[in-house]
Amino acid sequence: MSDTPILNSPWQAAPQPQGVPVGTSAENGIAVEFSGKRGALFWLALKTGFFTILTLGFYRFWMKTRLRRWYWSAIRPGGHAMEYTGDPMEKLLGFFIAVVILTFYIGILNLLLMFISFSVFNSSVIGYLLSFAGVIPIWFYARYRARRYVLARTRWRGVRFGLEKGAWGFALRALWYWFLTIITAGILWPRMTFLLEKYKTDRTFFGSARLVQGGRWQMLYRAALPLLVSLLVMAGAAFWTLQVDPVFDGVEIDGEALANEIEELAAGDWSGFDLNRPERLLLLPLALAGILFGMIYYNWASKRMMANHKSANGIQFASALSGMRVTLIYVLGNFIAYLMLLLGIVALVFLAAALFSGGFTVFEEIPGAALMAGLPRWLSLVLLAGLYLSFFLLWGVLYNTFVTFPLMRHMARTTSLPVVVGLPLISQRARDEFAEAEGFAEALDLGAAI
Amino acid sequence: MSLGFDGLGAAYFDGDSPVAQNVSMHIAAGILQIGLDDGVILRWPVEEVRQLPDSAGGDVVTLRRTTDPLARLCVTDQNLLKHLPERHRAAPPKGRGRLAAWAIAAVAAVGVQIFVLVPLLADNLAGFIPPAGERALGEATFGQIREAMDETGLNPLQICEGPEGRAALEALVQRLNPDSEMRHDISLSVLDHDMVNAFALPGGFVVLFRGLIEAAEGPDELASVLAHEIGHVVSRDPTRHALRSAGSIGILGLLFGDFAGGAAVLFLTERLISAQYSQAAETAADEFAHRMLAQAGINPGALGDMFATMREEGGDANGVIAHLLSHPALDARIKAAHAQVDAGAVYTPSMSKADWAAVQAICN
Repeated sequence: MSDTPILNSPWQAAPQPQGVPVGTSAENGIAVEFSGKRGALFWLALKTGFFTILTLGFYRFWMKTRLRRWYWSAIRPGGHAMEYTGDPMEKLLGFFIAVVILTFYIGILNLLLMFISFSVFNSSVIGYLLSFAGVIPIWFYARYRARRYVLARTRWRGVRFGLEKGAWGFALRALWYWFLTIITAGILWPRMTFLLEKYKTDRTFFGSARLVQGGRWQMLYRAALPLLVSLLVMAGAAFWTLQVDPVFDGVEIDGEALANEIEELAAGDWSGFDLNRPERLLLLPLALAGILFGMIYYNWASKRMMANHKSANGIQFASALSGMRVTLIYVLGNFIAYLMLLLGIVALVFLAAALFSGGFTVFEEIPGAALMAGLPRWLSLVLLAGLYLSFFLLWGVLYNTFVTFPLMRHMARTTSLPVVVGLPLISQRARDEFAEAEGFAEALDLGAAI
Repeated sequence: MSLGFDGLGAAYFDGDSPVAQNVSMHIAAGILQIGLDDGVILRWPVEEVRQLPDSAGGDVVTLRRTTDPLARLCVTDQNLLKHLPERHRAAPPKGRGRLAAWAIAAVAAVGVQIFVLVPLLADNLAGFIPPAGERALGEATFGQIREAMDETGLNPLQICEGPEGRAALEALVQRLNPDSEMRHDISLSVLDHDMVNAFALPGGFVVLFRGLIEAAEGPDELASVLAHEIGHVVSRDPTRHALRSAGSIGILGLLFGDFAGGAAVLFLTERLISAQYSQAAETAADEFAHRMLAQAGINPGALGDMFATMREEGGDANGVIAHLLSHPALDARIKAAHAQVDAGAVYTPSMSKADWAAVQAICN
């Protein structure tokens, strides 16, 4: 610490070594508060998103930094805000570094793969597949590096978090666990979830304290129950409606027959449409919705279970995250954000028609339609491009406001530290310089999540 | 004069231990005095105190001192803020030189890649693709272009299939290229689009736009464009081009990310169509066309006429073409074509009047 206290007070006591306080709140543990307002976040996201568009995307490093600062400062374990100390400039630098390294990898590799693909297989599919597969290890590597960067720039009560090096180890393990998961048809998925989380948690520090992921991977099967049930319902429903007691009466339906039946249907004749209790087909979309719910539920319930088994010396975590609540947030929030996008695209299509058709007959009555059709072509294009970007901006802003915000708030409020007696034993850790920041993740477009 | 502030809810973190210390705060003589419980008094000059930006909530403000990257003072008494004149001042920039160096390196890497390495590799590899692979590459590229150019967003751009027009065009290809010893047969298609343009793709695909047929003043001009594009096919310019864009697409996607990934692909498609080959490649294709037209008994000056026609039509051609047409080299190309006209030779039109009418109506 560079700030030396000035010892000028005559009644100053000699500095005392600090002991673990007994009988204070430390024994009762601390809760996590969340104190940001949705409206404030909306304006911050809108403002920074607008600048991002104006600067053709360059401001996104500032946007991300400012949004993180806001979210972090809203999360307050024990009433004290987290702090995000990341710097937009270092993100920009990291992006440049990643571009220098990745252009050679991606450019040359893509070209060679395309050449091989067309020379040997006469098709581009193999090339695309290989080029995609080649990026996967880097993708995992970048994810770990991005996490390391974010943790290194996160503080609470003035003390830094940190993640040890080990991105390639993470990438290799991730590939191996994915391989095992795929060849066991998903049975070992919880093992992958658990071991990857353990790899990350066991390398995470708060100050001098190392976190430990306890528990066993088998415990996550409970989180997978809704998904499992939905899959079984899906399989059962498909088997029932297509095999055991088919809805389509055994007669093979070709295109012509189907067209005939639809024609008869339009004429009010239902007889040709002799389906066997077709209402049973409703089971299929229901099961599909169940599978979607099951996946979100698994993702977050497993997070909760693992959080309950995280600890450090004298510190324990607890989480009361609700899988239902998270699903609701996802469904509602995405609905709002995508509705906006859909509305925007419809508006855009109509505007484009008005601008370029020279005025459809439909638009002739609308005042100003002729004026719009008379605009120079470049101006129309600029106008449309601006609108297109604005709708994407608004989508991002709404996603932040209605998905990320409630999710963060729910996560914060359901997390607590029931045991914190170890806190006073912790001291600061050294700064992790980390020149390339989250450049790889940014360049590979992994940075969408906060 | 000393001003006191409310320390309730305030906390000091020394940047070493995650334990909150209670504080009392005073400002006297431009110094913020922070009294801790153990009697230590920290002295922060008010102009060195900064407030953390973009904080949520607003009830608690976190302060830091410029000379100490770690210590934090959280305060709830908003009155204090009035006395911190520099609290919103940004930290002086650091590491700009390094940033600039990497920015230049990034631009250089992308530049070297797109303009040197990828073309070099593509040019060398183009010679090694077996004919079937080249054909597949052309088919894939053709499909992409048809989808990218479609304006309705539903179907790929229509290929014009008027049977008489097609037959006339086939006959023209046959006449231009009677004893083909090329790697590929020429597959000629007409796309239903009013762009005044034509392009060649790997594997012997030659594509004309309806707009070009409408702009051509007679069948000879069309034949000259066809001969020019066959010239590109023979020298495998399109194959090089397609391989180059395979390399460049990944790089552009990397640069623009989700912001404009789709636009990068569109841009490259545009480049494929307008096919800005090197000056040398264009001249070679022109010379090939002169020879081919002369051998077939068609006036080689037609190529020059076509360029002149396109330049006149340049008014309603799109921007890229207009740019190309304004290029000074075009004059040279027109002159070169006219210089090939042999005054003593007898030229016949490239197709009959009836055939030309059928070609003009191929999209109806």
